Amino acid sequence: MSGNRNKRATAAFVLAAVLPVVLLVLSLNIGTYRIPPKAVFTTIAGAVFPGGAASGPSPYADILFRIRLPRLLLALFAGAALAVSGASLQAIFKNPLVFEFSLGISYGAAFGAALSLVFLGRKVPAQAAAFVFAIVAVLAVLFIAGKAASQVVTLLLSGVIVSALFQALLSLVEFFANPYALQSLIFWLMGSLAQADWKDLGVTLPVIGVGVTVLILLRWRMNVLSLGDDEARALGVNIKREKIAVIVLAALTTAAATAVTGVISWVGLIVPHLVRMAVGADNRKVIPLSAAYGASLLLVADDIARGAVSFEIPIGILTSVVGIPFFIVLLKRSGKTWL
Amino acid sequence: MRFLGLSGKSRLLRAAVLALIMPAVPAGFAGQAGGPIKVVDSLGRTVVLPAKVERIISLEPEITRIIVALGAGERLVGIDFFLRRHDRLFALVFPPSERLPVVSNQGQDLNYEEAIRLRPDILFSSPSEFRMTESIERKMKLPVVALASMGKFRNLLAEIETLGRILGREERAAELVSFFGSRMGSVRGIGPARAEDVGPTVYLSFWGSLLRTPVSYEPVEAAGGKNLASGLLPSYLGTAGATVSLEQILRWDPEVILVQGNYPPAERQVTVEGILLDPRLASVRAVRDGRVHYTFGFWYWWDPALVLVETAYLARLFHPSSFPDFDLTREGDAIFKEFYGAEGLFSALCRVLDCHEWKPE
Repeated sequence: MSGNRNKRATAAFVLAAVLPVVLLVLSLNIGTYRIPPKAVFTTIAGAVFPGGAASGPSPYADILFRIRLPRLLLALFAGAALAVSGASLQAIFKNPLVFEFSLGISYGAAFGAALSLVFLGRKVPAQAAAFVFAIVAVLAVLFIAGKAASQVVTLLLSGVIVSALFQALLSLVEFFANPYALQSLIFWLMGSLAQADWKDLGVTLPVIGVGVTVLILLRWRMNVLSLGDDEARALGVNIKREKIAVIVLAALTTAAATAVTGVISWVGLIVPHLVRMAVGADNRKVIPLSAAYGASLLLVADDIARGAVSFEIPIGILTSVVGIPFFIVLLKRSGKTWL
Repeated sequence: MRFLGLSGKSRLLRAAVLALIMPAVPAGFAGQAGGPIKVVDSLGRTVVLPAKVERIISLEPEITRIIVALGAGERLVGIDFFLRRHDRLFALVFPPSERLPVVSNQGQDLNYEEAIRLRPDILFSSPSEFRMTESIERKMKLPVVALASMGKFRNLLAEIETLGRILGREERAAELVSFFGSRMGSVRGIGPARAEDVGPTVYLSFWGSLLRTPVSYEPVEAAGGKNLASGLLPSYLGTAGATVSLEQILRWDPEVILVQGNYPPAERQVTVEGILLDPRLASVRAVRDGRVHYTFGFWYWWDPALVLVETAYLARLFHPSSFPDFDLTREGDAIFKEFYGAEGLFSALCRVLDCHEWKPE
C-alpha cells in the first residue's frame, strides 16, 4: 500500500515537473490569431537568439510576447498561488473546507474592485484597490479573532462575518452603480486573464513568486502544525506566530493573484484535494505539487476560455462549471473520504 | 435640405434609404379615435390602453426621452433612478425631471407603494425585465407596456410613432420620424459610391472595457463603416455585447477604434490615450494611424437626438473629405433643438463629456 503511494508520489512529482512546461509550450500555440507552430518557434528563437534564427513577422512577435506570454505566465502564477494558499490554509486549520473565501480574501478583493470601478474611476486602479481590501479583510479577521486567532472555529467564524460584511458592502456598491460600471464589475467578479500585461505582472509575479516559495519552504512546519496544538507545542513550535505567518503569506499571495485576475473560485479547494487523493496528506508533497497542478489547471482553463469560441468565456465560470463535476466524479470513483 | 455642408445627392437614393429605415406602418399598433387603444409591445404582448393617457411612469430611459421629445414630459409622474443619477443629458433636456419621484433603479424592483401613490394611467417598462413587467401589471392592475429599440433604428422610429399615438401626439411623432429619416438619409447618402470604396473597419470598445464590444451598432454602418464584431454571438441572450480577446482585435486589425465616451472624463475606464499608448495594440492600424476616437454609444439604448448626432459625427470621422465644414457642436445643437426645442443643449452636454475635444483630424 505504502509502496504504491510512493510510486504514485514519484509519478506525481515527475508529471508536476513536466506538465506546466509542456502546457506552456502548447498554450503558446493556442489563440484566436492563427500563428503556425513553426512561426511560434522561429519568433521565440529570434527573440532569444537575436543573431540566430530569423524572427517571424512583427504581429507574431507582438502577439506572442505582448499578449500570450504575459497571459500564460499570469495563469501559471495565479493557479499556483490559489492552489498553494488553499493547501496551506487547509493544512494549518486541519480543515479540508478552508480556502481563500473562508478568510474573506475574495469578498474583500471584490469590494475593493467594486469601489474602484464604480466610484473612483482611474484614480485608483481596480487591481490596487482589490489588493488593499483583500489584505484589509484578512487583517479584520485576525483582529476580530483576537487572542483566539489560532483557534480554527474562532478564525473561521471571523472569516464568515468579514465575508458577509464585504458581500453586503459589495451589494450596496452594485446597487448604486451605473449599468456600465456594473457590467465591468460583473465581468471582474467572473474572473479573467484577458487583460494581462507586463506592467501588472511586474508587480504581481514577484509577490506571488515570493509568497509561493516561502509557503513551499514552510511545508515541513505545516506538517507539525497539522499534528495538533499540543503535539506542535511539545515540539517547540510557536503555534500562533506560525499560523499567522502562514495566513498572512497565503493572503498576500491570493490577494496579489485575485487583484489582477478577478475572482477565480474553487482552484484553492479542488487542486489540493486532488493532490491528496494521489499522494496522501503529507504537506511536504501536497504543497509543492499543488503549485504545479494549480498552475497547470488554470493554464488549461484559460486555453479553453480563449480558444473554444470566438468570444471570451470568463475563466471563473469555467473553473467552477468544469472543475466541480470533475472533482465530484474523482471523489466518487476513488471511494475515499475527504482528506 | 442640406446636412453637414453636404451638397444634394440623388433624391431617389435618399427616398430609398428613408424607405429602408422608416417603418411603413407603426407596427404593433391598432385602435380607433376616442376608444381604447391596443398596442403590441416589444415582448409581443397585446396591451389595452385608455384613450387618454395623462399620468405616466416610465422605467425605460429611452422611452422617457422620447416622451419628452414628443412634448409630453409634463405627463411624467415617476422615472427611473438611472435618469436621475447617471444620465448626463436628461437633466439638461428636461430640467423638471429633477423634481420627479424616482420609483425604480435600473431593472430592480419597482417601489410599488410609491408607484400606486402616483396614480399612473400607464407604466412603461423594459422588455429585458419581462417578469417584472408582468408582475407590475398583476399587482398594480394597470396597463404596462414593455418597449425599447434594442439598438435598432427601425424599432426606434416605430417606438416614436407608437408613443405618438398613445400620447395623442401623432403629428409631432411624424415630424420627428421625418426629421430623423431625412437626416439619416443624408448621412447614408454619402456612403461609398464605388464598390471598392469600402468604409473603414471599426472596433468599438464599449461599457468601460477594452474587450467588451457591441455585436450590432447601426450608427457605424449608417455612417459608412464596418463593425468588425457584427454578427458575433452576444455574451448574454437579449443583449448586444460580446467579450473578445486582445488577439481577436489584432487579428481584425481595425482601421478605426471607437471608445464609448458617454462618461465624464474622470469616470472613463478606457481612454483614447490609454489605447494609443498600449504596447499590446501598437501594431494595430488604428493605433499606428492615430485613428482612435471617442464616440457616444448606448446609454440605456439611445437618445433619439444624440444617436443622430453620433451618426453624423461618425460619418465625418470615416469620410472626412465629404464633410469639409463639419462642426460637431453646431450640428449637435441644431439636432437637439429640433427634438427638445431649446438652444445649446448639445453644447452643454459637451461641456460635461469634453466632446469639444473630439474634433476629428
